Amino acid sequence: MITVDHVTKRYGSFTALDDVSFEARPGRVTGFLGPNGAGKTTAMRVVAGLTPASAGTATVLGRPYATLPNPGRHVGLLLDASAQHAGRTGREVLTLGAILTGVERRRVDVLLDLVGLTPKESNRRIRNYSLGMRQRLGIAHALLGDPEVLVLDEPANGLDPAGIRWMRGLLRDFAARGGTVLLSSHLLNEIERVADDLVVIGGGRIVASGPTEQLLAGSGTVVRSSDDARLAATLAAQSVTVTPVAAGGLLVDADPGAVGRAALAAGVALVELRGGDERGLEEMFFDLTASSSREGVAA
Amino acid sequence: MSATTVTAAAPDRAVPGLPEPLPGPRPASGVPFLRLAGVELRKMLDTRAGRWLVIGIGAVIAAALTVLLVQDGGEHPFADYLQATTMPMALLLPVVGILAVTSEWSQRTALVTFTLEPRRPRVAWAKTLAALGVGVVAVLTAFAFGAAAHGAAVAFRGATGDWELAGTAVLGAAGYVLLGLLQAVGFAMLLRNTPAAVVAYFALPTAWSLVGQLVPQARTAAEWLDLNRTMEPLFTGSLTGEQWAQLGTSVGLWVALPLALGIWWITRAEVK
Repeated sequence: MITVDHVTKRYGSFTALDDVSFEARPGRVTGFLGPNGAGKTTAMRVVAGLTPASAGTATVLGRPYATLPNPGRHVGLLLDASAQHAGRTGREVLTLGAILTGVERRRVDVLLDLVGLTPKESNRRIRNYSLGMRQRLGIAHALLGDPEVLVLDEPANGLDPAGIRWMRGLLRDFAARGGTVLLSSHLLNEIERVADDLVVIGGGRIVASGPTEQLLAGSGTVVRSSDDARLAATLAAQSVTVTPVAAGGLLVDADPGAVGRAALAAGVALVELRGGDERGLEEMFFDLTASSSREGVAA
Repeated sequence: MSATTVTAAAPDRAVPGLPEPLPGPRPASGVPFLRLAGVELRKMLDTRAGRWLVIGIGAVIAAALTVLLVQDGGEHPFADYLQATTMPMALLLPVVGILAVTSEWSQRTALVTFTLEPRRPRVAWAKTLAALGVGVVAVLTAFAFGAAAHGAAVAFRGATGDWELAGTAVLGAAGYVLLGLLQAVGFAMLLRNTPAAVVAYFALPTAWSLVGQLVPQARTAAEWLDLNRTMEPLFTGSLTGEQWAQLGTSVGLWVALPLALGIWWITRAEVK
């Protein structure tokens, strides 16, 4: 369980996080979505107690991260896969973690095996690792202490498609065991397949959050009818945002049922009516983040 | 979504991929301090830089002892051999201490260090204790190697045994290495940047010594605050009460103050 409660973080006149509140619940994968510079990393660093919040509180498992006893045994963090000593071997990094958290060293081999680092690779120095290998090592490090909560910042960066699929399965399994997963990404289609819940951030503000399914469904309706202009007028009269699609038809910011009722009222025959697809959510994501980042610049 | 529901309803143990949960309850108490210090000690030596520094110190000591053994048939007092083993350590070990702190920032490992132990002063003290540990082992090694070399000179080169040391020389040799290490760790915590800490550690005290010698107005201050000068009596013999006070004052300025400020600063610095 991660609870971020009205967190604001200011750097001088720049507001990196503006009254941010969200939750990541046990048994679920929560996707933290936003463009680069939206505040994802800052929010995660506040959760991990690395960055003090200017206002508000963040708790993990009901208490501030810094007060967790032996936090590596409760929370697994991967905030930056490149933040490892280049002159240390991957195996040594895990061994240090195992000693510190009091986990038997045998687990180091188990985890290296799990993330697919061969014994030879694990004995190489990290300066020779690709980003994908660093991510795998970071995931192993996060899982070392058998945590209840995972916080991963852009873990898919540098992973190949097979690696991304493997990681998705891993996170699903972790959540299925009752664990809490918070993972960030700037790519919608990378995260929507694994996340049960989405938290969308833009310009330091939460712009949308809720179950992924709902957010997907709420991303609008694509409709084509015998008289698109008339349907558009009827919908506009109900203060519903309507965008004409170049190829014909309308993109409507309402659920299909409402659009169907509007068509009935307008006496227009429907040719096509379907809920917004991935592209619709992507557009919503783009719109939300674009508008909020404009506000961010203006502020 | 139905697939997800099925997975969620499956029994806990059937989940593939993830390793078995660790047995026993999750710890309710923090990481013991000595374990933390042990890990910090290991971190000093498990990197390529750390290992090469230690190898380098060993090589310099071996070279210095070889020169002493060959030169004049090894006819030197034990004090000379001790100096040959202590000097390289006193000069190079502080770099190990500096790297132990600054690499957390330059290599950005502080991110991991301070999330596995968020009580940052404990990490700072663990590093200090680990540096002291390295220093104590170094001093003991210096004595052992110095004695072995002198013994070898007596046994195999026919040199005269001269084991006499000034009463405080042992303390001086140990202090030289240990205080240097602590001072380096303090500077490193204050500056958190490898080149800056190395330059400051080597240049500042020397510059201050020069000022103390060349500027008449600074002479009295240097008598109390120049660590190079206040430590000198340790090597030659007994100290007066005033000399002890001068040593204490200079240690306060160059060792205790940087350490205290450094630890305070580390507690507050944002870890990037």
